[in-house]
Amino acid sequence: MTDNRTPLRILLLIAPIVLSLAITAILVLAVGKNPLEVMTAIWEGAFRNSNAVAGVVNFWIPLTFACLGLVITFTAGLWNIGVEGQMMLGAVFASWAARTLTLPSPVLLPLEIVLAMLGGAFWGFLVGFLRVRLGVNEIFGGVALNALANVLVIYLISGPWQPPEGGSAQSTPPFPAESLLPEISSEFPVSLLALFLIVIIVAAVFLALRGTRWGLNLKATGKNPRSALLLGVPTTQSALSAFVICGAIAGIGGAYRVLFTFDSLRPLPSGGIGFLALLVVLVVANRALLAPIVGFVFAAILAGSTRLRVVLQLDQSLAEVLQGFVVLLVLMANGLRGRILGGPGAESSIQPEPQAQPTVTTAAEATTHE
Amino acid sequence: MRKLFFVVLVVALAVSMALPAVAQDEFVFGMVLVGPQNDRGWSQAHYEAGQYVEANLPGARMLVFESLNPADAPETTLLQVATEMVDQGAKLIITSSDAFEEDTDVVAEAFPDVVFINSSGDNAFTGEAPANVGNTMGQMEWGKLIAGCAAGLTTETGSIGYLGPLINGETRRLAASAYLGARYCYENYKGGDPADLTFTVTWIGFWFNIPGVTLDPTAEVNTFFDNGADVAMSGIDTPEVMTVAGQRAGRGEAVHGVAYDYAAGCDVSPEICLGSPYFNWGPSYLDIVSRVKDGTYTQEWTWFGPDWADLNNPDTSGVGFVVGDGLSEENAQHLDDFIASLAAFAADHPDENGIPTAIALWEGPLALQDGTVLAAEGEVVKPIEKDNPLTIWYLPQLLEGMVGASE
Amino acid sequence: MCASGAGLHPPLIIYGRVSSVSAYIFLRWVANMEIELQHIHKRFGRVHANNDISLKLHGGRIIGVLGENGAGKSTLMKILSGYQPADSGSILIDGQKAGYHGPQAAIAAGVGMLQQDPLDVPAFTVLENFLYGQPASMTRRAARSDLAKISHEFGFHLDPETPAARISIGQRQQLEIVRLLTLGVRTLILDEPTTGISAQQKTILFDALQALARDQGMTVLLVSHKLEDVIALCDEVVVLRAGCLVGERAMPATKAELVRLMFGQDIAPQERSAGSLGEIVLKLDSLTIQDRRVRVETLSLDVREGEVIGLAGLDGSGQEALMRACVGLTPVVGGNVVLKDRDLTRRSYRERMRAGLAFSAAGRLEEGLVAGLTLTEHMALMDSERTMIDWPGVRDITRRQIERYNVRGRAEDRIEMLSGGNQQRWLMALLPEQPRVMILEQPTRGLDVDSARWVWQLLLDRRAHGTAIIFNSPDLDEIVTYSDRIIVFFAGRFHLIEDASTATVEVLGHLIGGNFEEAAR
Ligand SMILES: Nc1ncnc2c1ncn2[C@@H]1O[C@H](COP(=O)(O)OP(=O)(O)OP(=O)(O)O)[C@@H](O)[C@H]1O
Ligand SMILES: [Mg+2]
Repeated sequence: MTDNRTPLRILLLIAPIVLSLAITAILVLAVGKNPLEVMTAIWEGAFRNSNAVAGVVNFWIPLTFACLGLVITFTAGLWNIGVEGQMMLGAVFASWAARTLTLPSPVLLPLEIVLAMLGGAFWGFLVGFLRVRLGVNEIFGGVALNALANVLVIYLISGPWQPPEGGSAQSTPPFPAESLLPEISSEFPVSLLALFLIVIIVAAVFLALRGTRWGLNLKATGKNPRSALLLGVPTTQSALSAFVICGAIAGIGGAYRVLFTFDSLRPLPSGGIGFLALLVVLVVANRALLAPIVGFVFAAILAGSTRLRVVLQLDQSLAEVLQGFVVLLVLMANGLRGRILGGPGAESSIQPEPQAQPTVTTAAEATTHE
Repeated sequence: MRKLFFVVLVVALAVSMALPAVAQDEFVFGMVLVGPQNDRGWSQAHYEAGQYVEANLPGARMLVFESLNPADAPETTLLQVATEMVDQGAKLIITSSDAFEEDTDVVAEAFPDVVFINSSGDNAFTGEAPANVGNTMGQMEWGKLIAGCAAGLTTETGSIGYLGPLINGETRRLAASAYLGARYCYENYKGGDPADLTFTVTWIGFWFNIPGVTLDPTAEVNTFFDNGADVAMSGIDTPEVMTVAGQRAGRGEAVHGVAYDYAAGCDVSPEICLGSPYFNWGPSYLDIVSRVKDGTYTQEWTWFGPDWADLNNPDTSGVGFVVGDGLSEENAQHLDDFIASLAAFAADHPDENGIPTAIALWEGPLALQDGTVLAAEGEVVKPIEKDNPLTIWYLPQLLEGMVGASE
Repeated sequence: MCASGAGLHPPLIIYGRVSSVSAYIFLRWVANMEIELQHIHKRFGRVHANNDISLKLHGGRIIGVLGENGAGKSTLMKILSGYQPADSGSILIDGQKAGYHGPQAAIAAGVGMLQQDPLDVPAFTVLENFLYGQPASMTRRAARSDLAKISHEFGFHLDPETPAARISIGQRQQLEIVRLLTLGVRTLILDEPTTGISAQQKTILFDALQALARDQGMTVLLVSHKLEDVIALCDEVVVLRAGCLVGERAMPATKAELVRLMFGQDIAPQERSAGSLGEIVLKLDSLTIQDRRVRVETLSLDVREGEVIGLAGLDGSGQEALMRACVGLTPVVGGNVVLKDRDLTRRSYRERMRAGLAFSAAGRLEEGLVAGLTLTEHMALMDSERTMIDWPGVRDITRRQIERYNVRGRAEDRIEMLSGGNQQRWLMALLPEQPRVMILEQPTRGLDVDSARWVWQLLLDRRAHGTAIIFNSPDLDEIVTYSDRIIVFFAGRFHLIEDASTATVEVLGHLIGGNFEEAAR
């Protein structure tokens, strides 16, 4: 659709970012600081040198894994709050392998990843099972399983896996070096293996959602499970598989936290990254290719704000405010786009579309499959 | 959109270049807190100590980073925070929690020219830490002896509840100190039989309440009182003990509470508060920062104590005790006597190299819960010794006579 | 550009009969609403859904809005009622330009619309739905009495405490009408109000509409494909074709005249058709079914290859329950469903489809189609065998089916972008080519006369290859025309007419009222 509305489209994409920067700037002024300094601090914090970029990337990696998992459950119309717990179980399973197995790295690392996927998938399965078999809403089930996962982590840290000098509930002893993901270099301490996995999984999720019957089943289930069933979609199976696959992918994110970010299992290893990922997915909806990009912007703002806090001694919540506005305004712009460009949001005053904006997906599909 | 972001930030960057650089005579130190700087507990005590250093050492400037823990700041690590602080000119970084003990050693390797102080850790003592890492800790054992005494003096039912956080050497020795103080005062001032004194420790599992993870401190304090205790002591970072005791006193029950870790800990329920032992990190930090600034600091492990001449002197006393309004006049008198006796003991056993040589009431005969002899009649328990678990610092179990789990 | 209409009659202005009470005349004079649409345009991408439509609508009249599927009727009605903005053009109410946005504002201006699918909140009770949108000052008590009063006036049956999910579509319509009337609406728009409702409810509805127009001077706009209804009810009609206004005329007119207005040509009435029957393909063996509304006891039926069985009855009398029990969507309490010697009673919906049943539901976007998916994606869902989707292949099939079923839409359009009738065509287009038995809920729901014929043609082609068809319809004519045998339901009881050629619409009409004994005599 190349019409005179293209500039409008672009405007609607940029406007929310600019606007949220502006609002944040006003807030910064209100607390008596210089907005330019704030933005500078965030920028420098994120991109000053390769080490700073590595800091961003190391936060971005687990975030992106969580996002990619969530893109799947989002497509199936499910709010997988339980992604936190799924990451934690990934961390626990990977930790078990790292502590227990004495194997050379090339064997051990893949094994840890696979186990992490199993752990996450298992926890995802539980949420799904509660949902499809017992009718427990996935939000409630997810919250409960998140708490349970953290109880398990703290039990392990302060119990069976405590350090020899006694449990302090802070961490297990560090894992042996060969069980940890190696870094590219000390200038750019990031795991190459993880980057590689992200590329693979982005591609896999993208293709699965677009080109497979399974992906289409998820989409149909997400939009109208009742109709989907009548059209021959195994809807419960679809929902369950969405949870399992999401859990498996998020589990890798959890493993990354313990095998790279830390070198041991710590309380709440997922650190709320799953919740942040939910925000990202709110923005990207079911577009797997966008998830890493939007995730990167979020990671940069947040990781960059470490410097903001040190340099300007400003509260970190400022970065969270900025990010909150980005999400809010992007969502608003999406609604507006629907209205102005006659997308699905056009009649949203009557029946709000559950989908943030399927327009782009469908258009992309239509053109690429020709 | 990233292009635009980029443009905005490049402009901002250019502007920032023109900003003034770090002043010449300035000494920048970092303070990394595990919790919020206004938590009315552990982290706030460190934050205020940092402010104390700024106020008393000309040119000192503190960079604070609060709430560094996976839940509040998953996006960053101690390494990143330290990097930013060093970037801002920090020559010393205080990591104020045992949560940072392991990471501090790793990060310190990356910045050999910067001194790191991990508060409450002991890796500098054991030799695990790199040369630029030191430790400091207060002798809270004294504070807990006094707190325990106040409880022992006040209890009518002969039953005291102690709400502990998680179980490790530090928390065991503090609970045990409180027990020793309570037992001594119950016997010697009140005239009770120590065999009749019940001292129950309940561990909630963490420094503060995490719903679903830890035991609920409010419920546990109520359990103490329901089971016959009339004094509850806090060993955790948050004030549930005082809140619950205040509520129950409000309903006419004769119960009291002892706060912990914050000088104003009694403010929650002043009328039933027997007192609050607290750390005063200021003097120790001022000493360390001054020496690092002068270039005279070498790796050390300090375990600083109270100023017996003036327990609550902010400039000299590293461990303090605020007497609460809930303590009766008579018992306050006894407590003064007790404190005086502690002071006398301390005077007889002066610290060596910033490490105590003995702590009052930690004298034989003492046994661990499983019956292992800790000190025979006439022996004192060593405060700390390398590879010797039967010391106060590494106390492996609660003491015989206490009720509660040791592991 | 719009082709010039078959016959553009100047609008005939006939004022309604004047009531004798002078106060009433005054009321009418105040209340009669004059609406004028001026040069309304609305585009959806390349579709010009409303092309320069100018119209005057006078109070006190029932105006039929006619046109083939996709002509732009719903679009125009949504614009008038504020659900969609026009791209350009204006609406004048009593000579004043009305610049409202959104349905609430339109209602405030006096224009209210009943959507093609009712928009109430299913979980809320009738009373709560009624309260929705009313001024906050209205108490539950006042609402209850208003509801009772107006319902009584029109002979509606609405229990205030029943959840909206439990009442029939007809009742949901009644509820919406009552709600709009209390909100002071003076122009009432109904978009295909008779598609989901029973004949009895239709009578009640039409009586109410007539009362509103004749006695209260309201403007009623009625979008409908049922020309009999239009003839019975309307004072004038307007006709749209491909987005343009192509005709306006006063009633009365014959069905043939209306058809000519709509399609520009005559369409021959459908002939009764009989096929040749084969083996027994579906055996229902003393089936007892229980759903939320009705219980059907021990129904036995042998359906033969190539046979068409029509199910008649008021909404919810058991015909839906029977069809859904056949495909496993409604639980069977007793008895068996056997397809070609294979007992399917305990099998899932999907297994039954694989065994050779095919089903299409009447709910369209609520149940049947997936809003948000394109036509191609719907087609891809039908092929459940492959893991990877062969998009170019599916697209080809989609294009073929679009052509075959004459669907106004493109392969890449999302289904909700199609007009109601075109959605129905797509639902039919999705049916497998050669199932053993097709079970169809209201297969021609919302189709214009011409497409209804065409869809039946395609269905009957399959029958010639041995497919049996079980269908229901509120349109008794349709049942009489296409069935070999007919089952009439009333409150779970049923009556089998062995030879449909002996049945007439009159007889059926009598039977669906429950007079089975009379018929037996
Ligand atoms: N939201 C939309 N997006 C894109 N196209 C639309 C949309 N709504 C309607 N259209 C198109 O506008 C045209 C007119 O649709 P409309 O619903 O007004 O038809 P109609 O006369 O009501 O038909 P029917 O009798 O089938 O209900 C159709 O071609 C339809 O595909
Ligand atoms: Mg329509």
